[in-house]
Amino acid sequence: MRMLLSFAAALVLTATSASAETLKVGTECTYHPFNYRTEDGKLTGYDVDVATEVGKRIDAEIEFVCQEWKGMIPALLAGKFDLIVASMSITEKRLEQIDFSAPYRVSIGQFVGAKDKKLKLFEGDAVNPAGFEGIKIGLERATTYEEWLKAKVPAAEVAYYDSNEAMYLDLAAGRVDAIMTNPMKAYLKFLSQEDGAGFEVVGPQIEEQAYFGIGVGVGLRKGNDDLKERINTALKGMTEDGTLGEFGLRYFPFTIHPQEWKGTS
Amino acid sequence: MSDIVGWLDEYAWGALVILRVFAVAALLTLIFGVIGAAAKMAGGLSARIASAYVTMFRGTPELLILLLFYFGSAVTLTAIARLTDPAAGFVDIPPFWAGALALGLIAGAYATESFRGAFLGVDSGQIDAARALGLKPRAILIFVRLPQAWRIALPSFGNHLISLMKDTALVSVIGLNEIMFTAKMATSVTQKPFTMFATVAVIYLIFTTGLTTALRALERRANRHLVR
Repeated sequence: MRMLLSFAAALVLTATSASAETLKVGTECTYHPFNYRTEDGKLTGYDVDVATEVGKRIDAEIEFVCQEWKGMIPALLAGKFDLIVASMSITEKRLEQIDFSAPYRVSIGQFVGAKDKKLKLFEGDAVNPAGFEGIKIGLERATTYEEWLKAKVPAAEVAYYDSNEAMYLDLAAGRVDAIMTNPMKAYLKFLSQEDGAGFEVVGPQIEEQAYFGIGVGVGLRKGNDDLKERINTALKGMTEDGTLGEFGLRYFPFTIHPQEWKGTS
Repeated sequence: MSDIVGWLDEYAWGALVILRVFAVAALLTLIFGVIGAAAKMAGGLSARIASAYVTMFRGTPELLILLLFYFGSAVTLTAIARLTDPAAGFVDIPPFWAGALALGLIAGAYATESFRGAFLGVDSGQIDAARALGLKPRAILIFVRLPQAWRIALPSFGNHLISLMKDTALVSVIGLNEIMFTAKMATSVTQKPFTMFATVAVIYLIFTTGLTTALRALERRANRHLVR
């Protein structure tokens, strides 16, 4: 009986998706530069670009709903909208409640240092422990970046900070030679500001899921495997044809999507 | 200060949302307050229901009730719809009505007690006099009890209205784009939280000042026969 019902439901669903399907997308609308409104009231940002493009590719009308962060998952579960596209990181805990698409934005760590210091922390994509000699690295206390550095360069000299702002200030003042942090945050709060003019990201974007997590995905209610599949196919296409890269470059001087399509793992 | 200019139209729309929520919720407050007070004074089962209503809505945080209405309504209505039609999609009440109804019920609970107190506060000599004059019970209610109860109730009812006005700042949690939400949006882009939230404060002060003035005028009118 249940199978019959779900079959009937699937029939109804396919019947409606043949005509223009409407998907409501929950997002914060207050998270610059991922989802926010411009002064003239236009909703924009990386998340919004991604959701709009996914809608185009799976042939669905996208309608945005502004929802406060705290109630995001409850609102999805209560059916206030069908998808979450709000820079929501994929975590074990959230996966107990909802499903996620494959990541459309990475969780990464990267070093930031002075342009004129010629730091050689990496050779190609590999860590160069010799390059860390005599270099002081700034880290935020108790973060995944600290774990990563301890594991990869145990000998590195480290200064710990309780806040990002203090860390940027010391980097600008030369008390530390480089910092390891989230490059998107570093760009928004430091590199794009006056204080950060002489600084740049150093070495590759470090995309190690064991430390930094899987990344940011599209959230949807469990039991929508068909829709999830369609979204993943769209995201795969957007990763491979460079659309995601282009979206990232609208807001950052570097790309922020997974470099290779890995699917959902 | 120049940061604010581009956002003024957003603030204006947000302020309109607040006024609409307030208008509907204030009307509901009056209705629920009158019904609640009447039920409480009627005694019996209706009094017990009214007491439960007051206990519940006066004894829980406003934010909680708002969230319960917003999420609870969707879950409950969807469950009901699926009883009759298993393939039914999600059923929902719009955030505006969920918010106005929740706020109206909360303020109505407070108003219930104010109205009951005011009604009981009418001098019994007035009612005896009306009876002695041969007025029918309905006439006593309309021409003697209600106008005097209204006069007694106004100051505390006014208080409830002002706190209701401020409670409208909570509705952004259920997805209504009012001025708190506008401030968050603008802060996200301009990185100027003080300017943006100070604007919200100014807007609320304008509204509450207007409301206070209107209430003072109402009180003056209700008390006009006492002025010498």
